[in-house]
Amino acid sequence: MSQRRTDGELILLWTLPVTVVIWIASFLLFPGFNPPMSPTMSAEQVAAFYRDPAHLPEIRYSMIVFNWFGVSLIPILALIVLQVRRMAHRTPIFSYALLGCAAGSPALFLVANVCWLLAAFRPERSPELTQLFNDFGWITFTILVPFLIGQSVILSVAIYLDDQPRPVFSRWVAYFNLLVAAALAPAAFVGVSLSGPLAWDGVLSFWLKNIAIAVWIVVMGVAVGQAIYRERAEDREAGDQLVSA
Amino acid sequence: MSAVITPAASVAAPPSRPLYRRIAWHWRHDPKRELWLAWWMLVVFYSLFWLMFFVITRVQPPPQPAADLAAQVHYFRVRHLGIPVGFAVIFCIGGMIATNNALIAYSMRRMSVSPAFAYSYLIMYSLSAIPGLLLLCIALIVGTLRPERDPEAISWLYDFAFLSFDGTMGVFLIGSLIWMLAILLDKNRVFPKWFGYLNLCNGLTEVVVAPCWIFRRGVLAWNGQIAWWLDMVVFGVYTGAFIYLLRSMILREDFGTGPLPELKPGRPDPKAAA
Amino acid sequence: MTSDLAETTKRVRSVPGQPDMWAFVLFETLVFTAYFGFYLFYRARSPELFLHAQAQLDLRIGVLNTLVLVLSSWSVARCVQSARAGAYGPALRDASLTALFAVVFLCVKVSEWVRLSSEGNGFDSNDFFTYYYFLTGIHFVHLLIGFVVLGVVVYQLRSPARRDQQLVETCATYWHTVDFLWVLIFALLYVVR
Repeated sequence: MSQRRTDGELILLWTLPVTVVIWIASFLLFPGFNPPMSPTMSAEQVAAFYRDPAHLPEIRYSMIVFNWFGVSLIPILALIVLQVRRMAHRTPIFSYALLGCAAGSPALFLVANVCWLLAAFRPERSPELTQLFNDFGWITFTILVPFLIGQSVILSVAIYLDDQPRPVFSRWVAYFNLLVAAALAPAAFVGVSLSGPLAWDGVLSFWLKNIAIAVWIVVMGVAVGQAIYRERAEDREAGDQLVSA
Repeated sequence: MSAVITPAASVAAPPSRPLYRRIAWHWRHDPKRELWLAWWMLVVFYSLFWLMFFVITRVQPPPQPAADLAAQVHYFRVRHLGIPVGFAVIFCIGGMIATNNALIAYSMRRMSVSPAFAYSYLIMYSLSAIPGLLLLCIALIVGTLRPERDPEAISWLYDFAFLSFDGTMGVFLIGSLIWMLAILLDKNRVFPKWFGYLNLCNGLTEVVVAPCWIFRRGVLAWNGQIAWWLDMVVFGVYTGAFIYLLRSMILREDFGTGPLPELKPGRPDPKAAA
Repeated sequence: MTSDLAETTKRVRSVPGQPDMWAFVLFETLVFTAYFGFYLFYRARSPELFLHAQAQLDLRIGVLNTLVLVLSSWSVARCVQSARAGAYGPALRDASLTALFAVVFLCVKVSEWVRLSSEGNGFDSNDFFTYYYFLTGIHFVHLLIGFVVLGVVVYQLRSPARRDQQLVETCATYWHTVDFLWVLIFALLYVVR
């Protein structure tokens, strides 16, 4: 069916489990996530958090690792884009839109990452400034959802409009993506309150959002892996048929 | 099994009413449905954008750069709910920026010029969303978070946000020039040449707004009559023009690679299956 | 071929060059009119400040620049005429002459800016000079674009495979607009006191 070049895609695909392990490790290492820092902490408490000698190396190393591997999801997004190109659409608009979304959230994550690293760089800074960096980092980290929501919605529509006997992704992947998009939406409201479910340490903005992202990564990793392996099998079949013809 | 693409013969004209039936027909049978979906997303996005920025958050038109610290702190205080809620909506729909850019990039793919134009535009404008829009929304939200924050810090956020909104110029400057060049070189008549020149006008507004980084008062400040008001008029005309022209392009689209046919006046329903 | 000819004659009957370029000219003129409007409004607010600042400008330099640009308009018009008559050699020479005039204008303008700012009249020194640098600056940008436009003319005239008369006329229209805008700026900034 498709005679496009697919060398190396399996390698890119299998970087995903490595990425996941590294991200989980860094996530658990960052003291600000376990448990999530409260927005109601005063400036002195925030400064004390960054000045705590037990926290400082954990903050720095986890964020450095996140900085290295923050963008390692992008090759997977590229693989998804290539699968979308195989769908039965009249135009390449869906793959363009997905490409447009791909760099958005990693870039915003890097901004949050840099803010936290900055806060940890000179902990003797005035507590108000440290709190400012901390606030900026947390809001950015929580609110980086627009391109993730966009990606999920675009993917669901693309899958839904994939009118062929064997669609590239099954329909349930579309519904799953819509569910994830809905789960990510409350995090956009993080600025509304400093406490409660919408605050950056709350049930909706922290737990639901991050769990949704984690589940999305695992499920889409499996789905795109299946699509890639199926494509390779189909290519081999087609190649065999040509030979035997 | 049935064919991959529904053959045109089996598809009649869409039902004239009711409206939801027509929409359902187009969703299922219109070969241009992807394009129409993207176009309607464009319209929805800009409508919500204006509503959120001008009405809900009221951060546009922008406040004065010359306001003193107390006024700046007060500015955030009166918007302590409007800003987080309005921008929450913006952050929910922000992904539409990608579909908008995809549609415009597609228009360049339909032209006779190299795909490099489409890809450059797509990359540039996708990138522009972060420094030009999202970061400043974050800065404004952080500004409303703690009214007791040091006024100097609030002032820094105030400057960061409003300078970013006007002053992120390069993407829109070069991006407009790329679209302009594509249109002027295009032999497929996807867009009229006057829209190519209008891209130049839009690009020049980015040059005109540059002094906003220098002045704190007057016509060239970030809220000035020239740097903001006049530039907004040009931008409004430009946006209206390309929304209209993209619609016209979709109506004329024949999925070929040659010149786009002109719209015949008085056709009953150009959206019927080709 | 005949339909092309009919189309060309039809075009010549309406406006020289693309009608689209005229739409652009109209739009830019409107925008510049708005700039002039703001200038005059704020000038009326503080006439002494503006008068005093205007006195720092050298009228002779302004006249020289205007003359140079008017000459460039003349040479580009001659270029269009020659091209229409099929005399592409002279047309190319006129195009180069136009570019030369433009370079002279640019050099004079930049030296004027340097002189003024070294005397302490910079972009942000007072309201008049903000307008002065802004208006002459945005005009300068239009002139730089004009070089690209002249490049298109030269590119078209060079090879017999191209030589699109309508495109050459379109470019000339742009050039005349740049000249026209300068005359307005000159009148407003240098002359009206």
